[in-house]
Formats: sequence, structure tokens, C-alpha cells
Amino acid sequence: MTYILDDYAILSPLRSKNNWLKLAIVGFGILAGVSSSSPLVPFTIALCMSFATINFGKIPAKFYFKILAVPAGFVLVSIVIIAFFFGEGGNLFEFDVFGYTLGVSSQGLNMALLILARTIGGMSCLFFLSLTTPMIELFSVLKTAKLPDSFVEISMMMYRYIFVFLDVAMGIKYAQTVRLGYHDFKTSFRSMVMLGANLFIRSWEQGEKLYLSMNSRCYDGKLIMYDEKRPVKMPELLLTGVYFAIVLTVFYFTRGMSFI
Amino acid sequence: MHIFEGFLPSPWWQAWFAISIPVILYGMYKMNKLVSERREVVPLLAVAGAFIFVLSSLKLPSVTGSSSHPTGTGMAAILFGPAITAVLGVIVLIYQAIFLAHGGITTLGANAASMAVIGPLVAYLFYKAASKAGMNFYLNVFLATAIADWVTYVVTSLQLALAFPSASGGVLASFAAFAGIFATTQVPLAILEGALTALIMKYVVQIKSDVLVDLNVLTTTAVTKLKEAMQ
Repeated sequence: MTYILDDYAILSPLRSKNNWLKLAIVGFGILAGVSSSSPLVPFTIALCMSFATINFGKIPAKFYFKILAVPAGFVLVSIVIIAFFFGEGGNLFEFDVFGYTLGVSSQGLNMALLILARTIGGMSCLFFLSLTTPMIELFSVLKTAKLPDSFVEISMMMYRYIFVFLDVAMGIKYAQTVRLGYHDFKTSFRSMVMLGANLFIRSWEQGEKLYLSMNSRCYDGKLIMYDEKRPVKMPELLLTGVYFAIVLTVFYFTRGMSFI
Repeated sequence: MHIFEGFLPSPWWQAWFAISIPVILYGMYKMNKLVSERREVVPLLAVAGAFIFVLSSLKLPSVTGSSSHPTGTGMAAILFGPAITAVLGVIVLIYQAIFLAHGGITTLGANAASMAVIGPLVAYLFYKAASKAGMNFYLNVFLATAIADWVTYVVTSLQLALAFPSASGGVLASFAAFAGIFATTQVPLAILEGALTALIMKYVVQIKSDVLVDLNVLTTTAVTKLKEAMQ
């Protein structure tokens, strides 16, 4: 049905590294990428992050490139629109459709390329985080960030129940499929409704049971968790510094640069 | 449709954060109040959030075979109200970004505005207004969730159009282009999601109607009436 990136994160060797260091790397990459004015900066970021994810994070390269193509549909349609509608100046090429002239200006094409590069750069940063840091590691970060207890609590329980319900949903779906429940549009719609309704009712009962079981174990609205101390080691710090320096250098030298 | 990481340039991603953060804070305040009054809702809200996530990760059977999935937030808005749906929706969006590579961090504000704030709010207002006017419950749920799903896409198109205005026609021209592609293709899917949610509700009324009464979605008399109509 669907792959969960968390499964890979739990096995990743980078899991045992300091969470704040990883968050700093990702946050820096995302911000530098989104505020860059030339496609080279996000491209550099994408290159570094993909290398780090595949090489240090031991993620299969084939799988990595497969998930990098996930946003492709949305991004390609949108950048075509941007290329045609954005920017002024002389058109690089144009053609007539039903009496309207559609043209791509150099400004529009530059913008489209920049957006494409930014999306790839941003997604590779996001993948670095989600493929090396399981969500359980991030809950302590959320707590330290002083988010309301009920918010963190609900996110934690939700995290647990996502896997429970995915399991239930996959089981039901499999059972429906082997009984030809998805063989044409009408039956698959019917199966989908049954699946959704049963999932809702089952989740509700599960929630009531969860409340009872937690209450009988003296739950008072706070789950305490263990936050492991992981000092940042010198080589990691050095590598991060080199990465920051490369990106900042590229950022500085390519200000306002465009390809076309 | 989620806007992916890095797609919105600055001032726009910050602007959408500025719009959605107050609503989410208000939702958190509401949720904290509800939780301190009735502690048993914490696990219920958590499983509801997980349900939205799983529902939104199921592929809808669509005619073209494209990968499209229900947003699930319209249903949550009818059940829990828009403020709490905003908070649950944000958590779901963060999980979708991190687990499924759908969405992003800088675009979280924009995605939250369309999917967790505006869509559910529209669904909720429509549902309340129509149930006051005495509309049939299932038709009401169908319309409310279908409209919420569709509005989500219109808002996404608007967000893209505002960030990338057309040189000749301004925001309006590029809005027409984005909406022409994203909002029109979404119409059949919105109808499908509406029908799906209405039928799910029918099952819920049949099997576990006390939940709907607990959540103030329906009154006891309305439930008995619906049950009588089914027999």
C-alpha cells in the first residue's frame, strides 16, 4: 500500500547521532535553499544531502531515487505553468493556441528552473531527516521546545496508532482484494466504504480501551520518556562545518546569477 | 494536493505561517481546555488523528487510475469542530511530510492553511448551516466534505497564484491557470470523497450511533429518526 520512511530511519546508522545536530543540518539546508537566488545553491545542497543519506545513512540508492520522484507530478505541472505565465521581457519561444500566443520568457524559464532546483534541494533535506531520524527521537525535541503537553501527548499516541491502524487497514484490504473486492470501480468503492467505516468504529473502540487501560495505570496526562544524551563528536562537527562552508560559498558567489 | 518543500519562495511561506499559526494556537488552547475538563478525550483525539492519517494514505479508486487520496479533514471537522481539526491536521501534515514524503517544512504553513484550517472551517460552517436548515444528514455530510475537499484545492491554487503572479494578467490570470488544472481535476475526486464519507457515516449510524451523539454531531432524536428511515 504505502511505504513508511520511518522503517528505514530505525535501521539507519545515523540514528544514534545527536538530534539537534541533524536538525541544524536540515534546517540550514532548507533555509539556504529557499532563500537562494540561483539554482546552483539548492543543487549543491541536494548533492551533499543525497550523498550523506545514501553513504552515511546506508539507504539503498534505488529506493532513494524512487522517493525523490514522488513530488515529480505536481512539480512538473506547476513549473510549466510558471514558465509560461511568470516574468516579462522577450519570449525565448512561443506558439499560437486558438489565437492566443503562449510564450516562455527568459525570466519565466529562470524562475521555473530555480523552483525545480529548490524543490529537489528541499526534499533531499527532508529525506535526510526522515530517513535517519525516527519519530520517537523527535518527541524529546518537541518536549524541549516547550510545545504544550497535550499536543506532544496526542502526537505520541497518534504515532503509535498510525501503525496499529495501518496494519488493520492493510489486513482488511488484503482480505477484500483476494475476494475480488477491487475488481471494478463499483465494487472497489463499496469495499473502500466498508474499510473506512470499520476502521473508524474500530479506532473508536480502541481509543476507549486505551483510555481505560491507561487510566487504570495512573495516567495523569503526562508520559515521561527517556532522553538519551548523545554528545556531538569532532568528525561530525567538522563535516557539518565543511558542508555549511561549501553551501555558503556557493551562495555568495552565485547571487543574482542566472543561466539563460 | 500538498505543496512540496522549497516550492514557495519567501515572503509567501512566512506569510502562510503567519496566517495558520494563530488558528493553530487557538486550536491548541481549545484542546487544552477540553483535555483538562474531560481527560478521556486525549486517547480519543489521538486515535482520531491516526484515523485521518490512515484514511488520507488510502488510495481512492479513481477512474483514471491516478494516485489520489481523501483529505479526511472534512469528516474530522464535522466530528470534532474546526479548532481541534486544525491541531490534528497539523500533526497529520507533519507526519505525512516525514513518513510519506508528502509536503514539506517551509510549506507546512501554506499546507496547514489550506488543508487544516480553511477546508475544515468551510465544511463545518456548511454542515452547521445546513443541519439548521433541516437538510438530510447524509446529503449534508456529502456536500460538506465534497466542498471542503474542493475548497482545499482552490486555496492551494490561490497560494501558488499569489506566489507566482502572471506577468500580463497578474494574480488572476495565473490563478485561472493553476485552478484550471488542479481544481477542475479535483471535482470528481471531491464528489468521490463526499460519497465515501457519507456512506461511512451511514455505517457509523447503524453500528455505533452513540459516538455521534457524544460528539454533538447529531441529537438522539435525529439518530432514532435516521435509524427508523433505514428499516
